[in-house]
Amino acid sequence: MAEKDADIGFKKDMVSKLLSSFFREDKTKISGDAVLLMAEMLKIFVEEAAVRSLKQAESEDCDQVDIEHFEKILPQLLLDF
Amino acid sequence: MSSKEETHQRLKAAVHYTVGLLCQRTGENHQTEFSRQVIAAIAETTFRQCDTFAKDLEAFARHAKRSTISTEDVKLAARRSTALSRFIQNKYEELNHEQRDLKKKNTGKRKNRDTEENRE
Repeated sequence: MAEKDADIGFKKDMVSKLLSSFFREDKTKISGDAVLLMAEMLKIFVEEAAVRSLKQAESEDCDQVDIEHFEKILPQLLLDF
Repeated sequence: MSSKEETHQRLKAAVHYTVGLLCQRTGENHQTEFSRQVIAAIAETTFRQCDTFAKDLEAFARHAKRSTISTEDVKLAARRSTALSRFIQNKYEELNHEQRDLKKKNTGKRKNRDTEENRE
């Protein structure tokens, strides 16, 4: 199978371990399909954070995206998710 | 460092890596660069958001009297934004189509094998 190097994302195993590490109860498990969907959701979260920060930097005529741009868009980002 | 902390450190590093790649690609598409600090900040925020997601998902499953988190719980976690809900719904349907196609392929192979054996 040819590898699409444009397909960056969170690996299924990693997402599964990541979410599991935050569960309050030992008996809680997550289905494989749910992990795949959560991997997509995390990817969107990061992409939204990146694009919104970038748009903020552009609106301020900055040629590098810096932490102050991210800080400005962070409240709305968290509300949207 | 406790083993739980070690796990979290490893996971944080893995998240940071993927976040870095995604930011790099976004930057390249817009001829801009993301500073190292902002990538670290996005990675840290994503890691913390996972905590919120995980606890929400766990609560949804428990509310439905299940101990295994299902895709229905994920769909509920995506409820705040219409666009996000639609996207997750589409991904969910893509997943189901892939699984249905795989099942059809396997039953198709079995049917062919049967007819070949009958001919022999």
